[in-house]
Amino acid sequence: MPKQRRLESTAPWVELSTTAADWKAADPALLATMLGQLHLIRAFEERVLDLAAEGLVHGPAHSSIGQEGGAVGSIVGLRSSDAVNGSHRGHHQFLAKALTHVAQGGLDVDALVTADIQTVLQKTLAEILGLAQGYCRGRGGSMHLQWFEAGALGTNAIVGGGAPMATGNAWAQKRSGTTDLTINYFGDGAAQIGSVLESMNLAAAWKLPVCFFVENNFYAVATRIEESVADTRLSVRGMGFGIPSWRVDGMDPLAVHLAMEQAAEVMRSGGGPAVVEAEVYRFFHQNGPYPGSAFGYRTKEEEAEWKKRDPLERVAREMIKLGLIDEAGVESVRAQAVAAMDAATEPLLEADPEKQGRRRIRPELWPDPNFVDVGVRGDASELDPLTALDPSTSDAAREETKFVDAVAGVMERRMSQDDRIVVLGEDIHRLKGGTNGATKGLADAFPDRILGTPISENAFMGLGGGLALDGRYRPVIEFMYPDFMWVAADQVFNQVGKARHMFGGDNPVPLVLRTKVAMGSGYGSQHLMDPAGIFATSPGWRIVAPSTAADYVGLMNAALALQDPVLVIEHVDLYGEKDEVIAGDLDYIIPPGTAAVRREGAEMTVISYLSMVRHCAEAIEQTGVDAELVDLRWLDRASIDWATIEASVKKTNAVLIVEQGALGTSYGGWLADEIQRRFFDWLDQPVQRVTGTESSPSISRVLERAAIARTEEVVAGLETVRRNAGGA
Amino acid sequence: MATTIRMPEVLANVTEAAVQKWLVAPGDAIAVGQPFAEIETEKAVVEYTAETAGTVLELLIKEGDNVDVGAPIAIVGEAGEVAPASPAADSSAAEPAATAAPAEPAPAAAAPAAPEQTTAAPGGEAHPGARRFISPLVRRLARERGLDLSSVTGSGPDGRIVRRDIEALVAGAAAPASPAPAAAATAAPASASAEPDLIPHSRMRTTIARRLTESKSTVPHFYLTADLRVDRLLELRREINAIDGVKISVNDLVVKAVAAAFADVPEANTTWSDEGRLRHRTADIAIAVSLDDGLVTPVVRGVESLTVTALSAAIVDLATRAREGKLKQHEIEGGSFAVSNLGMFGTQAFSAIINPPQAGILAVGAARQAPVVVDGALEVGMVMTVTLSADHRVMDGALAARWLAAFTARIENPVSILA
Repeated sequence: MPKQRRLESTAPWVELSTTAADWKAADPALLATMLGQLHLIRAFEERVLDLAAEGLVHGPAHSSIGQEGGAVGSIVGLRSSDAVNGSHRGHHQFLAKALTHVAQGGLDVDALVTADIQTVLQKTLAEILGLAQGYCRGRGGSMHLQWFEAGALGTNAIVGGGAPMATGNAWAQKRSGTTDLTINYFGDGAAQIGSVLESMNLAAAWKLPVCFFVENNFYAVATRIEESVADTRLSVRGMGFGIPSWRVDGMDPLAVHLAMEQAAEVMRSGGGPAVVEAEVYRFFHQNGPYPGSAFGYRTKEEEAEWKKRDPLERVAREMIKLGLIDEAGVESVRAQAVAAMDAATEPLLEADPEKQGRRRIRPELWPDPNFVDVGVRGDASELDPLTALDPSTSDAAREETKFVDAVAGVMERRMSQDDRIVVLGEDIHRLKGGTNGATKGLADAFPDRILGTPISENAFMGLGGGLALDGRYRPVIEFMYPDFMWVAADQVFNQVGKARHMFGGDNPVPLVLRTKVAMGSGYGSQHLMDPAGIFATSPGWRIVAPSTAADYVGLMNAALALQDPVLVIEHVDLYGEKDEVIAGDLDYIIPPGTAAVRREGAEMTVISYLSMVRHCAEAIEQTGVDAELVDLRWLDRASIDWATIEASVKKTNAVLIVEQGALGTSYGGWLADEIQRRFFDWLDQPVQRVTGTESSPSISRVLERAAIARTEEVVAGLETVRRNAGGA
Repeated sequence: MATTIRMPEVLANVTEAAVQKWLVAPGDAIAVGQPFAEIETEKAVVEYTAETAGTVLELLIKEGDNVDVGAPIAIVGEAGEVAPASPAADSSAAEPAATAAPAEPAPAAAAPAAPEQTTAAPGGEAHPGARRFISPLVRRLARERGLDLSSVTGSGPDGRIVRRDIEALVAGAAAPASPAPAAAATAAPASASAEPDLIPHSRMRTTIARRLTESKSTVPHFYLTADLRVDRLLELRREINAIDGVKISVNDLVVKAVAAAFADVPEANTTWSDEGRLRHRTADIAIAVSLDDGLVTPVVRGVESLTVTALSAAIVDLATRAREGKLKQHEIEGGSFAVSNLGMFGTQAFSAIINPPQAGILAVGAARQAPVVVDGALEVGMVMTVTLSADHRVMDGALAARWLAAFTARIENPVSILA
């Protein structure tokens, strides 16, 4: 029989509950503030459900009624510079953070509602109704509530989606030398999802002051927790990552507060993250004004049992017991909260002239429909003070370099000039510059700013997103292969790409994502995509795809200066190429809207980017076609150089869009569509395209070659355009 | 069994046409090959002969109505047969207001609407069974420049008309209308009303307007004028006409002299195309023929090999058929040069507009008595003024002058014309 030794997690895991002594020892002002917050949130949530029942809330209203204790208990002790983010059910967390922020000295139960509090209630309600005066100008609504000044980073409608960004915020707090912390709230349904677990790991590995706060309300919509997990004590998650964990009755706000005090002490003292699990109960269904029992997945009896543990009543009862308030006082708190909600609601609604007895949103309060696309990206005015230089037209002196050395070179230059820049990615700190040498020399020069990450793209992408939203640091993320964007897709597209617009358009997301196209390298079906098409058709991103080293310098400098997320696409074929850069200048930018005409011609316009520009030039040379070759440089909808494309199309009346990768996710589809609509009357034939085939490139050398486009395919494309020009 | 006769595509790529004149009437028995109708298109009037024997049951369109090619125009069946859908044959005539549509209701139903489509888009829109593909660029250019694409052959995929094809048109593809000045300006209306009378454009008028505008704005014209002594020419004509049964005109001799001048200066017999200049081996010369309200320019081919009498007969035949609207498409296409003669109106001199793809046109005035100086002495002679309009893209001034000198020499030594 083998010898066995019992192992234990390195981290403590405790269950915490209060005693009468704890209540007695509690600061009466703390209890009063908790009672006031609980009532304000309850009255708020009841009003939201009333309005939902009136049909005035567009979309779901995820009520937190019954769960207020977890949020209030954990937030009431926080600083404004501490941060929270939450899930789709986040009104209570947002309000608790906002109320704590505007009432730093606590709440007065006799004069509960100050002008600031009234403003918070109305602005929050207006946001949930989708009105222009809301915190996010009505864009975010119930599920995307953000108020940076109060430390409310933004609630999130993707289960687990906020965890990586909270981790990033905590990284910024720690790196800035503060003792601030961040709490990421999520539900039992998110305790199994990858983002949360990856984030726990990253936070633990890097000792980041972030609390993973599970509001365990036992139901993921209608699926009971027992159906989803073996151990329903979800704080057990911390054990797997070496994170100190607390389990606490969330219906007891003081217990939550005390658990959070202990957790905060760990986090503020550099001990790394914490897990807090609070058992709570939502009195209603997932959303809307009906109880869960009405949908048959739980019983009325169960609901009645939990209602007896209502956190509002618990705090009131304990305070009455301690002589801190009487029944009339509690009634008064309730009445003040309801009156405050009346006052918050009244300016937003009016009698509906078309439906007797009904109310409607005051029409003048809706956002202007023209606001719909404002703030998808910034306006790039931050580039105005920088020096632009176009290597394709500049006659500045050159020096020879390998392309990949320009990649590392410009990053080293920027990092030496801008302390905010940090680089994250897999193996970027090892192997003498990562897997391709693109970060060569950087780890030696900036050892604490070149961060080799665990293999968890969702977590470190989202961590970068959190850094970007925080703004104190400039994250540069490297995906070793573009296909890994699918692994991190939520953070790349749902979070980073949408965050600026979704939260109102004002808060920028400056982040650079580097990746390399590796078609031709034999890495097979799951590594060899060109990500340009997917990013170009997703909101928020800017994209650059340099075809020369000198362009790389200018485009990377622009990417690092922009207040938007920018994808920088590289290509393995280019890394080893002998190339040249502007001698002694690593500081210029190539701004958005600057394509390069690599060759002038009259017969057709060939549009390409990245390594395919060289293949196009070769094919043009071989065929003798008098083509105009446009190197896009900037690929996204906002940054593409329409003026150059327009001038060329009007000259040649024929377009060939050339790219290397698979047909399905290809880049040229949207561009062809846009060109035919903009310039239909200037086209003498359909917009033609060169792409790879439908399949993802295989590992077999022959099949890989057959799946992708290179010079031979461009030659065929040129000939197709020529045939279509007629005259034969 | 009744047969529906549809508007034929009398010329390639013509999308609509009108019956100018019915040559049959309902009840007429017809045989295959019998003249059925005169079909008028933008380019020409052609005689359409019956392809079906039988009895004309019904004519579905009025003379002058434009309809799409392929639209039903008549019903032919057996004698005594009634057009199937006519109300008389329809026992369920409970709805007397129903359209008295003839046979084959579905296609026939389209007929009444067709005449309203008198302004087809210049791009040559689709018509049943013969969709034409035109690139967006070409559509726009046609719209903006008023180009007629109906005669353009598309060289793109599936016959799509592409930029290259329209460039050929702009440079001067087949253009049926004569460049010669209109026979006479429309007289000022006699009406006492101050308001002008609106005369709707005929197809021919529209074509003349478009073609000549196109020529004058795209072909770089230049002009050379010469006064010719024609005493001997007129004498020669008298001598020839003295032969019994022969009657030639001065113009016949002028046309013959034009051909002879091309034999003298063959490099002048050159026309423009995008790919290069076309050097012609034969003298295919268009003759401007004025009509009641318009003109056409039928082409006499191989003038150099025709005798004067044969040439004269050919010109008479073409002019006669032109006035009858019976020219065939090939007779109004091509040619490298044109002659326009207004001498019969007493016009002394004028200059004419080139008719692409031709490279020149000779405007011939009236022979007149005029003072001439011969060897320092003034005498009276017969003089005719001609003006050559030349396309500078193919003919420079010196070449044009050499040709005009050759022409002058031929006219002034007219026997050489007959040689």
